[in-house]
Amino acid sequence: MPPIISVRHLHKRFKILQRRPGLGGALVNLMAPRYSEVSAVEDVSFELDEGEVVGYLGPNGAGKSTTIKVLTGLLVPTSGEVRINGKVPWLERERYVREIGAIFGYRSTLWWDLPVIDSLELLQPMYGIPAERFRSNLREFSHLLDLDAFLNTPVRSLSLGQRMRADLCAALLHEPHLLFLDEPTIGLDVVAKEHIRQFILHINRQRGVTVLLTTHDLADVERLCERVMILDRGRLLFDGSLTTLNHRFESTWTLHVDFDAEYDDVSLPGLDPPFRQGLHAEYHFDHRQVTSAELITRLLERFRIRDLEVRRPPLEETIRRIYREKLLIN
Amino acid sequence: MRRQFSLYLRLISIQLRSQMQFRASFWTDVMTTGLLNFSYFFSTYLVLQRFGSIAGWTIAEMAFLYGMIEISFGAMDMIFSGFDPDSFSRFIRQGLLDQVLLRPVSVAVQVFGSAFVLRRLGRITQGALVLAFALINLPVHWTPLKLGLLPVMWVSQIMAMGALFMVGSTLTFWTVQRVEAINILTYGGVEVMSYPMTIYPRWMRGFFTYLIPFIFLNYYPALFILGKPDPLGLPAFTPFLAPLVGGAMLFLASRFWRLGLSHYQSTGT
Repeated sequence: MPPIISVRHLHKRFKILQRRPGLGGALVNLMAPRYSEVSAVEDVSFELDEGEVVGYLGPNGAGKSTTIKVLTGLLVPTSGEVRINGKVPWLERERYVREIGAIFGYRSTLWWDLPVIDSLELLQPMYGIPAERFRSNLREFSHLLDLDAFLNTPVRSLSLGQRMRADLCAALLHEPHLLFLDEPTIGLDVVAKEHIRQFILHINRQRGVTVLLTTHDLADVERLCERVMILDRGRLLFDGSLTTLNHRFESTWTLHVDFDAEYDDVSLPGLDPPFRQGLHAEYHFDHRQVTSAELITRLLERFRIRDLEVRRPPLEETIRRIYREKLLIN
Repeated sequence: MRRQFSLYLRLISIQLRSQMQFRASFWTDVMTTGLLNFSYFFSTYLVLQRFGSIAGWTIAEMAFLYGMIEISFGAMDMIFSGFDPDSFSRFIRQGLLDQVLLRPVSVAVQVFGSAFVLRRLGRITQGALVLAFALINLPVHWTPLKLGLLPVMWVSQIMAMGALFMVGSTLTFWTVQRVEAINILTYGGVEVMSYPMTIYPRWMRGFFTYLIPFIFLNYYPALFILGKPDPLGLPAFTPFLAPLVGGAMLFLASRFWRLGLSHYQSTGT
């Protein structure tokens, strides 16, 4: 099956007017504007297959939103090829947007002053959804997203979590095969986040909707995505499975040990001395050089142990290290 | 096309519904706008009464010019509410255009449907009253042609002034600064059209003949209806140019709008 999204050598540069200070400067600006170019996306290529849920990660200003805007047809790229569902988003906008759903977490796509239900019902003629399909989708989604309690509330009076749920419903009523989510859980509390994640998983599994999402919350990624792409300064640094990412970059694991008796020296040959606190000790080790099983065997041979736990670093730390240490730049 | 139009009606009906929610304040608004504009006309009326006529135009004849353009402007301001440069620049700054671009409906249809300021009814009513005053006091010999010309004038004027609104809004794709220059043209143009063109200096008349051809929209058709001679000596068909001028202006404005939109999509302000 051909990929549902195919992006090749995507570039997006923005021209920024260099403002000169003062009144004279403003005048000169008017006569001879001087621009500088900023590259938001540089030579990004990737493909998405139908049914995937892919996380698009990167620090602020990495170019994630710019990419999403190009993919949703809001922005025309400087160069490069984009084919989604066999269409070029910005060339046939009206026909293309019919087939996708998109959510920008920082802004609602619903009508601000309308009750939620009016907003949703407006989408039926807009997308030309058959009345029967519309009814059954609305029933299903408002059940899954628990919308009933606030269907008659104007969008502007909703809490952030409620608004996001209403937005999700709105983005899917016309049954798109493809869903773009830009920061879908931004600013939400833990319960609301989990609700949103469950729903995304549901529509991915039940309806086969392909999802591309940007997020700052790596719990989203761990819960939803098998594959991640990491962008920094407009360049794609990593594109692969979450497992590969973990394997390559989370080198230091920690073994937490609770001893059953007092020992003077609990250090192991070949490892840094552990951090100790009473009967508790933490060994840091590189899991690519020594397995946790091996380590545990060695400890059990020498000491009486009550409890053991192996901890992998949270994804967050891994990602932070990748950005900070530029691990992916070869 | 039909789908787009029925969607437009649907969007407008939502606008109307939310405006009618606060019925009392709505009617007060309508009344105050109407009264405000009427007081403006009334003060002119008092001044005119002392002179009897200006440049050969009686009070009733001037009231005809004024009433016609007030009705059109009120209607234009209502229909083109979404394109009002002041509110459209806010629309852009809030990033609402992205939401519009995500919908499978023409952007212009959605902008038209994004606002419909019903309060402008006040101004229309006021214009209608002044026009009624003019018609009662004017010794016009009505023919079918003259009667038919009235709605043509309205439509042409709405198109022409709406075109300026559209140009003003389009400019906000390039600059976030307020587009005062174009507002001066729109609102100033309404003023200019409310009076006989011969009271203005030559350069100004030239401006509103060749650059922004407002002279053909109200003044010339009025000359014909009122049966007044043309002091400027233009061809006899000139009073009937209004729909051409209005249509051409709106056409050019919509081309410019498209250009602006594609600029927006390549810069993403």
